[in-house]
Parts: sequence; C-alpha cells; structure tokens
Amino acid sequence: MNNKPSHCPSADLLVEFAAGTLGTAESICVSTHLHFCPHCKGTLHRLEQIGSHFMEKNCEAVTKKSTDKLNAAEDESLFESVMEKIDAASTDTPAKRASVKGEFPPLVNKLIAATYNKLNWRRLSKSVDVAALKTGQNKFEVALHRICAGGKTPKHDHRGLEYTVVLKGSFSDEKSVYKEGDFILRQPGDTHQPMGAQNGECICLSAQSAPIKLQSFFGSMLNSWLRIRPN
Amino acid sequence: MQIPIKQVNLSTQMSEAVSEIESSIKRSDQWSKLLIDVGMNRSKESFAKLFKHFAPLIKSFAQSSKHEGWFPGLNEDLVQEVMIKVWQKAEGFNPEKASATTWIYTVARNCRIDMLRRKSNTQHLPLENEDYWHEPDEETPASLFQQKRSESKLQVSLSKLPKEQNEILRKVYLEGKSHAETSAELGLPLGTVKSRVRLALQKMQVLVPSEYQEND
Repeated sequence: MNNKPSHCPSADLLVEFAAGTLGTAESICVSTHLHFCPHCKGTLHRLEQIGSHFMEKNCEAVTKKSTDKLNAAEDESLFESVMEKIDAASTDTPAKRASVKGEFPPLVNKLIAATYNKLNWRRLSKSVDVAALKTGQNKFEVALHRICAGGKTPKHDHRGLEYTVVLKGSFSDEKSVYKEGDFILRQPGDTHQPMGAQNGECICLSAQSAPIKLQSFFGSMLNSWLRIRPN
Repeated sequence: MQIPIKQVNLSTQMSEAVSEIESSIKRSDQWSKLLIDVGMNRSKESFAKLFKHFAPLIKSFAQSSKHEGWFPGLNEDLVQEVMIKVWQKAEGFNPEKASATTWIYTVARNCRIDMLRRKSNTQHLPLENEDYWHEPDEETPASLFQQKRSESKLQVSLSKLPKEQNEILRKVYLEGKSHAETSAELGLPLGTVKSRVRLALQKMQVLVPSEYQEND
C-alpha cells in the first residue's frame, strides 16, 4: 500500500488521456505514471467506459437523423472486404509485439531502445545528468534526469510546462518528497530546487515544453546547456 | 457498511433507473458472449453479428472526429482497421475487466490516433498507440456482475449530466478536442472547462474507487 504513488495527474489530464487527445510527450508521462498507480488505472478504466457510452449514444443520434448511415449494401461490401483481409492475414503468423527488456516501465524501455540502445548521459551540473529520448514529436523535450544521492540541483525557474515522473529512488523540494511513480506538473513561473534522496540516486522521466532557467550566476552559465533539443 | 435495501419504497424514478440498468446489462452480455466466441473459437458467424452492430458505431465515431487532417474518406478505413484488430485481438478480451463495447471503444480510439499520427508524421515514431495502454490492474476488484453494474450505473448518471458538462465531455471523447481547444471554441476560460469536467466526474463518481462507491 505504501508504495503506491501519492502524486497523481489531475482528473482533466486523465480525461484527455482516456479520450486520446493528449499530446505525445504528455501521454508518455501519464502512461508511465499509470504503470505505478493502480488507483489511476481504475479511474482510467471508468473514463474509458464513458468514452464507450459516448460512442454508443452518438451512433443512436446519427442513425436517427443522418442519411449517411451505413446502408445494407455498403455494410455488406465493407464486411466482405474486412473478411478478405482477415483471411489473407491469417496465413501469416500473427506478429507479436516485441517487448524491450530494461529496468524501467516497458514504454520507457522502448523509448530508450529507440533512441540509442544505450543511454547517452551528459553532465548538466555536479549532481545532475541528463539523457535525451527520441519521441517523434517536437513540442516537448523528453529526457531522463539522474540526480546523485544527496545531490542538490541548481535552483531553477520554469518558463514552460514540465512533467516529471519518478522512475527510481526519490527526490524532494521545498514542497514535498516524491517517490517512485509520482507525477509532478510544474507550471511556467514555478521555481524550485530539487534534492536527491540520501539513500541512492534518483532517476526521473521528464518532458519540458521550454528550457528551464537557472537562477544563480553559475547556473546562468549552464543555461546554454539547457537549450531545448526536440528530436 | 451495508445500506439496507428499501424494496418497498422504490420511487418510480428509481425503478426506472434499475430496469434501465438491467436491460443494459443484458445487452452488454450479448456482445461480450459473441466477442468471447470470436476469441476462443474464431467464429465467423459471431464476428458477422459483432460487425453488424459495431460497424455503424465505429463509423459514427469516425464521422464525429474534428481532428485536424481527418476527412470523410477515412471513416470506412477506420471501420475496417478496427474490425480487423477486433478479430486479431479478441483472444485477449476479458469480460471481467471490461464490457465488449468499452473494449472495442479503446481499439477504435487507438486506431483513430494511429491513423492521424501516421498521416501527419514523416519521421519514425518509436511508439505505437498500443504501447501507452496497460491491461487493467490485477488488483482492480470487481466481479463480472459488479463490473457490469458499475458500468451501467455510469451510463445512467451520464445521461443525467447537465448539458454544459455533457457538451465538453462530448467534445473531448467524440470530436477529439483537447480542453484548450474546447475553451477556445466555446469562448470559455480554460479553468471553466476543466472545472466542468471535474464536476461531471464527481457527479458520476468516476474519481472514487469503485469499492467505495455508494450503493444506491
């Protein structure tokens, strides 16, 4: 029970996720959180039920008034074409979706494999390393961040949105402690100074919509490193 | 904590709701049985029955899309793609986790997004839409009956939502509009859109784990 995440995505984010309208980078973060969170998985299931009711109700409404409903002949030919494709495909062995091995949730492992096959860590500050991930979209920079045990990160501002999911270990800031599976959304203008837990390194998945801005003088030199690099 | 069942004092409204729930359970049973038959026995006869019921549903779901880049020519493609997936994946359907309609909705949702992503993206996408979704958790409680009952209750409470809340959910689920797009379209602040969503979900008890839901 204690291992369940205590920081979860807001209800409206889950609705957008369930309806499939959430962007790629945000969906990656929500999906990764769900891997750890049975509570949100239950909510998601109920949200999908709502989707199915809308699908049903919508059809009733359309059928009542529309001239564009499937008529019997179209229906038949569509069915035949589906059956042809099914018969053609059934001679092949069904393609199993390859699952990628790794220490993180399957989705993250797959992203890592698609990016380098091996993580390419680069140093961001004395206690933080970063490894960018390829996600096929360019609105957010998606990356893994690694904070060493007891490591202090530079105090920084957010100019855009930042989604974070803790994958391993824990970190804390002025507001709270974040453990495995926790989902954190930072708004533009939020300032914080995360610190890695003393008992081990912390690895997080993050998606940033704009570069963050470091506040100290030393940090401002580092800002040039933090330029967003979508890929 | 068991709330005593007041059988005598059922108001007409209540008994209507109950019979609505019962008939919807029967309907959903029918589709689940057919889907199981397709999964276990590869029955083409059952598949034809499912097709007849779900093809129009999927088509109207496709027609309601207001996604950028969606056009009417894609509607029948979606029906085909979804029904082929239903045939291929039917074996994985578990009636204790979801009704056939919810299961097919998730297939349709995923196909619709994948079609859009394939159209708009020239670069290689490392993830397919299916990668984002998890099997319902083993810990999720619910017997077959509980699952069906909670699903039907949701359906009834959904039909009683105020218009302005229903409209926003409709936009996100059917038209594929994000809350930001909805707010721009309706000329409402984003906060209002989000709070209407939250109110609707509270009313339907979506945010409460089902084991704690009131028994009415």
